[in-house]
Amino acid sequence: MVWLWVLIGVVVLVLVVLVYGYNRLVRLRQEVNTGWANIDVQLQRRADLIPNLVETVRGYAAHERETFDEVTKARTALQQAGSPAEAAAADAGVTAALGKLFAVAEAYPDLKASRNFLELQEELTDTEDKISAARRYYNATVMAFNTAIQSFPWLLLARPFGFKGREFFSAEGDLAPPEVTFAT
Amino acid sequence: MTLQEQIRSNRLRSTIVVFGFALLLGIVGGLIGLIFNLSLGIVALVGAGLYAIFAILSSRRMVAGMTRAQEIGPDDLKPLRKIVENVSIAAGLPVTPDVRLVDDPAPNAFAAGLRPQTSYLGVTTGLLRTMPKRELEAVLGHEVSHVRNRDTYLMTMATIFAGVIALIADIGFRMLIFGGGGRDRRGAGGALVVVLAIVGLLLAPYAAMLMRMSLSRRREFLADAGSAEILNDPEAMALALKRLQVDTSTIAYADAAVAHLWVESPTSRVESERSGVNFLSGLFDTHPPLDKRIAALEEAGGFRLPDELPRDEPFARELGLM
Repeated sequence: MVWLWVLIGVVVLVLVVLVYGYNRLVRLRQEVNTGWANIDVQLQRRADLIPNLVETVRGYAAHERETFDEVTKARTALQQAGSPAEAAAADAGVTAALGKLFAVAEAYPDLKASRNFLELQEELTDTEDKISAARRYYNATVMAFNTAIQSFPWLLLARPFGFKGREFFSAEGDLAPPEVTFAT
Repeated sequence: MTLQEQIRSNRLRSTIVVFGFALLLGIVGGLIGLIFNLSLGIVALVGAGLYAIFAILSSRRMVAGMTRAQEIGPDDLKPLRKIVENVSIAAGLPVTPDVRLVDDPAPNAFAAGLRPQTSYLGVTTGLLRTMPKRELEAVLGHEVSHVRNRDTYLMTMATIFAGVIALIADIGFRMLIFGGGGRDRRGAGGALVVVLAIVGLLLAPYAAMLMRMSLSRRREFLADAGSAEILNDPEAMALALKRLQVDTSTIAYADAAVAHLWVESPTSRVESERSGVNFLSGLFDTHPPLDKRIAALEEAGGFRLPDELPRDEPFARELGLM
């Protein structure tokens, strides 16, 4: 009789732990999703600013077609990116292409002085800051979620219920430590 | 424990505290009922409840009044708003809190509001004129952490409850002295009850105050850590605290009732730090000593602060305030 009660107790305890663990994983995953939505908003904003910028620069420097194409391509890649890693790589591509565009703009004093151009430039810088802020939050939530589903005992729950680790938002090599070489 | 879980445990603690205050309030009401008569105790409790509700509803305005924080126009101080926006995004707040300006030369900042949606941060003009951008970000990160951890909610509630308890205990005590007891209380037993009740009424406000203080001190460490995590830069927060330590000015009209809201204690900090290990003054401090907060950050971040503070341009210059 005592054994029966002990058995029931153990079963109930296991059930409670299961429910708690499942809810915790769901919550952590939800936080990752929110974090991703925050990044997505900023990426979208960045992509939306680009056509305006290209038009403005085109007004002053119509023949720099190659640079425009490159920026437009990078923008399309950003909009089509699916996974966080892809988006991060595409975002890095946009940064590189915009860098070139701004370098081109250096040669046109009228453009550089144009209010529209200055405002767009400021907006873009602001968006970049916000992307990096949103990235910090997102990566922190991913870290928490991934740690949870890889640690005992929650990893026993994660697999059967289909909780999969999430990708960090980082361009390739972003997280890798820089290589240090010593000159001999 | 992840940060989100810390926030949750913080919220749980908040609920416990609110209940603790309610219990203390009940005890004070009960004591009044015991000394005078039951209906007076009930009247006192109902009055306290109404006062508390009124205070909660008007807390936003009350805090703004007590700290003298001014709203700023939508187009003013844009760079400052942008920093707050970015820090809020990095903290994962659903909305960006408003920014208000306190015209005071002492560098300090605070956060207020019951929910993140209605919160705002106050910064003194002195803070903008003292801190370079990196350290200002850290201070704002500290305040945003308070909002995110729901400290502002808890501290507002704690302030209101402590106030209400002090008020009723005071009224009860005065009635006892000047009004005399309602019921006939003769004999040793009755006298003992009255003495105990007086002691209770005397101690209640201090109990409430202690509760409030100990709460806010723990949370300062948490908010420092929060800022370090949000910005991924524990050194910036430590530098900012060091700069506050070097600066000895205090807020001119500092109201002790809102002392716990600020990033560093706005009142007699210098004195309490000089007296050092004075046990009693330590108990009633709203903030842990800056030394301890800096040391905690140094330990967590694995760095040592340089003796000399960096001589960067204060942020006010970028805002055109200097």
